[in-house]
Amino acid sequence: MKSLWMQSRAEMLRILRNPYFVFWSLAMPILFYFIFTRILNGNMPDLKEWQAHYLMSMAAFSVMGTSVMTFGLRLVQERTQGWSTVLRTTPLPGAVYAASKMFAQLLLNLLCIIVIFTSGWLINGVHLSAAQWLMAGLWIVVASLPFLALGGLIGCMKKVDTANGISNVLYMGLAISGGLWMPFEIMPEAVQRVGKWLPSYNYGDGAWSIAAGGSPSALSVLLLLGYLVVFMVVSGYARKKQEAV
Amino acid sequence: MTAVIELKNVVKTFKNKKAVDGVSFTIEKGTITAMLGPNGAGKTTTLSMMLGLLQPSEGSVNLLGGSPEDRSIRDRIGVMLQEVAVMDGLKGRELIDLFRSYYSRPADREDLIRLSGLSPADLNRSGQKMSGGQRRSLGFALAMAGNPEVLFFDEPTVGLDTTARRRFWEEVRKLAKQGRTVLFSTHYLEEADSEADRILLFDQGKLVADGTPDEIKRTLVKRSVSFLPEATGTDWQKRTAGLLGMRMEAEVEVTESGGRIIVTAEDTDAVLRTLIESNLGIRDIRIDVGRLDTAFEQLTQGTHAQVDTQEAI
Repeated sequence: MKSLWMQSRAEMLRILRNPYFVFWSLAMPILFYFIFTRILNGNMPDLKEWQAHYLMSMAAFSVMGTSVMTFGLRLVQERTQGWSTVLRTTPLPGAVYAASKMFAQLLLNLLCIIVIFTSGWLINGVHLSAAQWLMAGLWIVVASLPFLALGGLIGCMKKVDTANGISNVLYMGLAISGGLWMPFEIMPEAVQRVGKWLPSYNYGDGAWSIAAGGSPSALSVLLLLGYLVVFMVVSGYARKKQEAV
Repeated sequence: MTAVIELKNVVKTFKNKKAVDGVSFTIEKGTITAMLGPNGAGKTTTLSMMLGLLQPSEGSVNLLGGSPEDRSIRDRIGVMLQEVAVMDGLKGRELIDLFRSYYSRPADREDLIRLSGLSPADLNRSGQKMSGGQRRSLGFALAMAGNPEVLFFDEPTVGLDTTARRRFWEEVRKLAKQGRTVLFSTHYLEEADSEADRILLFDQGKLVADGTPDEIKRTLVKRSVSFLPEATGTDWQKRTAGLLGMRMEAEVEVTESGGRIIVTAEDTDAVLRTLIESNLGIRDIRIDVGRLDTAFEQLTQGTHAQVDTQEAI
């Protein structure tokens, strides 16, 4: 138990000290939120609704980014720099190491959500019921699992540079075509048709529904579960292949 | 004496290439052993199997009476690998504490800090901002975090300056005096010679020699007798080889270089006696003892150039 705590604490310190994390997961979403709800909000029919909607988008964007980028890249770095090998010679069980990584990630995701929700309340006075805040936060944490699995898949890559490039493209592509950056409705129809099936759209849609007083659709839940399974199976296969050498 | 590490006929094959080929040895408690050999000789692969990072294709590895993959065994060892990776985002001090938390009987924090030789300012620096030498010093402290009985160092002094190197070996000797067992790999002959009680000499995946530094030197260094023939015309190389082959039991090697006939043999005294007794008509007889580093280089480069350095007559 003590080693799990020590390791989780170390993992959290490492992520918090990473300037990329602070920039992409906290500064950027809040800045975007400010710009698109205060400055460039001209022709939004229902401003209050948009402010709550976009707050969900940014919280989802932040957590998705942390999971795909920070988590995946860190795995590749640790392997290429020989850190994983060093740890394998210590008595620290691999399961504790993996658990502490997930635990740290979970706590930081919660932190991101709290900070972003708070800034929405401060910037625009976004008003939701306590149950809605709680449910939205919970959804964004739990439904981020497929993205963590995607991060794990990126973590199987051999080179930091490749992993960095691919995760950047995936992250931006998913965010934009899933409607996390701009309202999904203003996207070209072709993008919308594909976007509806992406994990990012369904991730955001769940949070949007909660903010609008509804609940995530069964289709979103099923799709996200499907993605989770696929990513886990593929990365499990990739890992096995690597270990066989 | 208690055996701490035991390897029996260990083979490791990577894609049909044998990186380690039938290696067996036993390491006893409280000794310092060097695994010496050129790059690619199989030292790191052997080390990885002792640490349970790689599985032997054949044979068995026994560490502290158990399997190196066993957690209770890992609790009793300390490791410093070739690439000293320091986790980014953590300070030296935090890493020391983190590593101490991994072991059931951690070493004293202050002892580890003293052992690392790092200043308080350096310890507050994050790993990726340290110099290579500082990282290695930190790596040494991390290897000691669990108060280990057995220590493994893979090329421990690469990149260290002379002072740091001396300091490192002083500490290692102290550790061995405390009854800890030390195993390190190196491709520096002098280091193995001066620091180890025993040398395991690796070449092309095989253990080619095993003994004290003196014993290793004796097997490595070639002695030779050379002379100039007084008369020319005959094939002296063939003649000498024939004569010595008839009179001596041990194997000799006869070569020729610039008119000088060189006889390489273990027992140069016997060669000398035979040559003089046979009254061949030769002059300027010299006895040469090859230099250790030259011999090592030859062995590890797989060439058999003649021993050309003269040390004694």
